[in-house]
Amino acid sequence: MSDADLVERFAAVPVDQDTKDFYRGWLDHELRIDRCADCGRWQHPPRPMCPACWSWNVVPTPVSGRGTVHLLIRLHQGPPLEGVDYAASPHPVAVVELDEQPGLRITSTVVNCDPREIEIGMPVELTWIDRDGVPFPAFRPAGA
Amino acid sequence: MARNPIKDRVAIVGVGSTGFSRSNQRSALALALDASTQAIRDAGLTAADVNGIVAIGEPGAPSPQVLAASLGISDVTYFSRPAPVVMFSIVDAMNAVYAGACDTVLVCAAMLRLPWASRSAANDPFRRVLVRGGGGGARGGWPESVAQAAAYAAWASRYLHEYRATREPFGRIAVNCRTNARANPLAAMRDPITMDDYYEARMIREPLCMLDMDVPVDGGDAFVLTTAERARALQQPPVLVHATTVGLIDRNDEDQLPGLTRHGQHVVVEALRAKSDLWLDDVDVYYPYDGFTIITIGWLENTGWCAPGGAARFIADNWDDETGRLMIDGRIPVNTHGGSLSEGGTRGTGHIREAVVQLRGQAGTRQVPGAKTALVTPGGFFFNSQGAILRAA
Repeated sequence: MSDADLVERFAAVPVDQDTKDFYRGWLDHELRIDRCADCGRWQHPPRPMCPACWSWNVVPTPVSGRGTVHLLIRLHQGPPLEGVDYAASPHPVAVVELDEQPGLRITSTVVNCDPREIEIGMPVELTWIDRDGVPFPAFRPAGA
Repeated sequence: MARNPIKDRVAIVGVGSTGFSRSNQRSALALALDASTQAIRDAGLTAADVNGIVAIGEPGAPSPQVLAASLGISDVTYFSRPAPVVMFSIVDAMNAVYAGACDTVLVCAAMLRLPWASRSAANDPFRRVLVRGGGGGARGGWPESVAQAAAYAAWASRYLHEYRATREPFGRIAVNCRTNARANPLAAMRDPITMDDYYEARMIREPLCMLDMDVPVDGGDAFVLTTAERARALQQPPVLVHATTVGLIDRNDEDQLPGLTRHGQHVVVEALRAKSDLWLDDVDVYYPYDGFTIITIGWLENTGWCAPGGAARFIADNWDDETGRLMIDGRIPVNTHGGSLSEGGTRGTGHIREAVVQLRGQAGTRQVPGAKTALVTPGGFFFNSQGAILRAA
């Protein structure tokens, strides 16, 4: 897929030189997080240099998809989204801490369960949902 | 003791405010000019005395060049347009005066309700220009973001989880501000609220409800700063800037913050304390930022008024039942103007203005007797944590 097509398909997110591989991974159902190939440090959001060792050898690297809910908001209002009725069922927004590194987190939502059962500390695993015609990395309760 | 050569060398000598409302029909420029002319006159000065302009970069607010043209301020030797949250601009202005880049500087902010802030704002055709060019940020995109405002709901959830806390201290902060706003004619929200009102308020980003969030308003604030020497010859009691700082850590992305006990506020407190001769025992009035109630909880704990997780107990122990507000040690009121929650969301200009008015002894029915030292801690956790200690000369 060309860079122009990629930008077109991900109109809702900021695609640039530093984030393009992150979003390209979504099309392959692969969550790729930037990792320094020299010192091993993970970082998110995607940035071109390792802040720990200043290496430019930063490689988008697939993660296990396992993590824990660290922060949790229930949105009672929000931007219009197909399939979401904020008033009827507040939409969960979860910041998930990935198992790969303490403090390495990704912000998404939790699906495949009663939204009222989601809580901070809950183990989750990666799953893929459709969002405006593109795959979107979400989480579900681990082992569900 | 950290280096602080500017200590007590620059003074705030003029303040002006339009007051704040949710039904204003004036432009941001009109609000800015109203506040600016008030501040310059308050100092006993004219346009000819001002040669620096710091224009706070609120959306839609006028640039330094538009302010110079509109106010007839010529021969400007320093001007800038810092990001919002008040201390970026105050620090810039005082540094410019101290360095000799200018002698007397106007700091001006005007804020307008953005179109999504309310139905009346959305229906005002003149506000559409405020979001032209994609200024909507995450609002136009997907809901799975904790950027900007949503971050405070996210970290409020963590606070409740880590400390097994309830929302009660959040509600107390909202009630405190509303109680104080009742005595402030500039405030947008002056009807009293109770804890019952807090618990019944509409949930927005759970765990934060409508009353946890500051109120979008239209209005303007302005300040005039000059050297402490010059200030002594002017008409108002000078208020000296004793110490200031801003604070930033490396992992400052909203969802990557190390935790509630390590962020921008901690950098501010460590730096401010190291620069200042005055600390909590010396403070007569306290102005913690309250764009969201959880920010005030953070400041109370991180500044050292109480321990991490101790805000609920601290607020209960220092609550004045008779007046329905916080009175630390029975003597230090908090956000005497009503804060951003009730005076209006000014990103800290209201906190600084009220501190100046109190230190001058000009706060009328709100006046704290003999107030000599103010601690002001604007901003939140991520990329706008700030602190200032102001004192009467």
